[in-house]
Amino acid sequence: MIERATNQEIQAFYISSILQDNDRLFVGANLHVPRAGALLAHLTHAPNMKLSIGMVSTNLLYADRLEPTKFSTDYRVSRWAECMVIHDEIFQRPQYCSDVFFVGGMQIDRFGNTNLIGIKSPEGNLAVRGPGSLGTTTMAHYAKRYYIYAPSHSANIFVERVDYISTFGYGQGGDHRCQLNLNQFNEGPLEVITPLGIFDFNTPDHSMRLKHVHSGVSVEYITTNTGFEFAIAEDITETAIPDADALLLLRERVDVEGTLR
Amino acid sequence: MPNNLYSQNGRIRAPVTTTLQEELDRLEDGMTIAFGGFNTASHPMAVVRGIVKKGLRNLTVVGSAISGLDLDLLIGAGAVNEVVTSSVTAEVLASVGPFYREAAESGSIDIWECDEGIFYAAIRAAGQGLPFNPWKAGIGTSIVELNKKLVPFTCPVTGQQLIAVPAINPDVFFTHVERADRYGLGQHTGSGYGDRAIHRASKRTVITTEALISNEEIRRNPLMTSIAYADAVVRVPWGAHPFSSPGCYRVDEEFIKEYVSVANQARKGDRSAFAEWLQHYVFEPETQADYLETLGQQRLLDLGDVTEAIS
Repeated sequence: MIERATNQEIQAFYISSILQDNDRLFVGANLHVPRAGALLAHLTHAPNMKLSIGMVSTNLLYADRLEPTKFSTDYRVSRWAECMVIHDEIFQRPQYCSDVFFVGGMQIDRFGNTNLIGIKSPEGNLAVRGPGSLGTTTMAHYAKRYYIYAPSHSANIFVERVDYISTFGYGQGGDHRCQLNLNQFNEGPLEVITPLGIFDFNTPDHSMRLKHVHSGVSVEYITTNTGFEFAIAEDITETAIPDADALLLLRERVDVEGTLR
Repeated sequence: MPNNLYSQNGRIRAPVTTTLQEELDRLEDGMTIAFGGFNTASHPMAVVRGIVKKGLRNLTVVGSAISGLDLDLLIGAGAVNEVVTSSVTAEVLASVGPFYREAAESGSIDIWECDEGIFYAAIRAAGQGLPFNPWKAGIGTSIVELNKKLVPFTCPVTGQQLIAVPAINPDVFFTHVERADRYGLGQHTGSGYGDRAIHRASKRTVITTEALISNEEIRRNPLMTSIAYADAVVRVPWGAHPFSSPGCYRVDEEFIKEYVSVANQARKGDRSAFAEWLQHYVFEPETQADYLETLGQQRLLDLGDVTEAIS
């Protein structure tokens, strides 16, 4: 008997379910859950996915153990390389490098704007400098589908308005993206994946709407830990639990160090 | 000199190999200096320590699209006036460089706010000799408010809002490669990150190299030549330490943790441990050999085991 799936395994399984065959995707070194979700999708229903890890494009289908790397430049991933990723070339044709992109934030607001720049003091000055925008501003503009991924969920992260915008979601809501002509490659973030549940933006003003709660989490708990009011889908359901085959694959080939357990 | 290549009238092909000191002597306060590598790999650290030792001031430092703590050390040493990069980080070891964070929060240096796409637009403009490159991503974000040098404008073709990203044209670009010959041909093991782009954008490129190899060896695999015709080549074994050099050595995590610890103490107001660190690793070693002796053979041998399973 295999033990039940953990919260992070449920999130990874959900991410694998939203990824499609042929998707091109960059797998970051330190986002364990999206990494596991992408690798799981690739090893199950998406053998034609194009996955880049660190600085290489990979063929992972023959790899029996997909050890994680601590650093995005770890050269040892080159044993899976079929092509080098020359970093500046990504930005010569960003729309062909990422069909799907995951964006994170120190703050995320109800309209899906994300902030990696910093936190303001009550006086409006920069009080805490964040890691910076990395590639998120540009890749979220060009990706066909983009998602927000939050490794933790609290009212300090999910705020009414972000202090700075590093990646534009739906701005102030409504048709703000259209006004700025930002819908050339995608029409804004599709969903928000957190340790508590899954949100989409299927509301008239494009504010967040809770659509799934993970096993063992209540709607009340999410409400208490979110800094704004959000809509709740009429057909809200519990997030699907990985089946036994998926869980075995996750544990034996994808998450071999047990980071998600 | 059997290795020299003679033309018919007896003139030789001029080598561009030089010394670290000679390159450091060319640098002046206020210059715009770019540093290659990426994140926790391949930063030209012998040059970075040399700049700290020389006491340069008011530099505009251009990192890689995502910089490592190479820039953080330069900020901590007081060399920097403005920093151009999307992030100064050591990933899991420090999501934000301590001195970068302190300087950003106190406003003591200018931050050319950008993401990687905007960064390369500026670098590309310089390579093309244009005053700016247009870019779309960033419209509606705080980046255009924080970085006053980005100029939103109306596209003359579509009438839409775009950003004019001004060219950044480094006076010198330093980076570290695994192999180079004495005519300025450099070969990275692995992707070479964004080094080609910064090479194209810079007035002068200087590479430090793990190994100096023959032109014959370069010609065995010309497809690998990632930096063609650097202006100068300096052989610096272990030149990226404490960062990794692909296929040669791994990240020295313990070293970086020690740096982050003393830098964080300095950020909180007590610079004494950082001063000792600087003395020990930057000021006392006179040569690269001295620096490596400070680190010790066992440490280097361990880091050089690049076959160790991915961890």
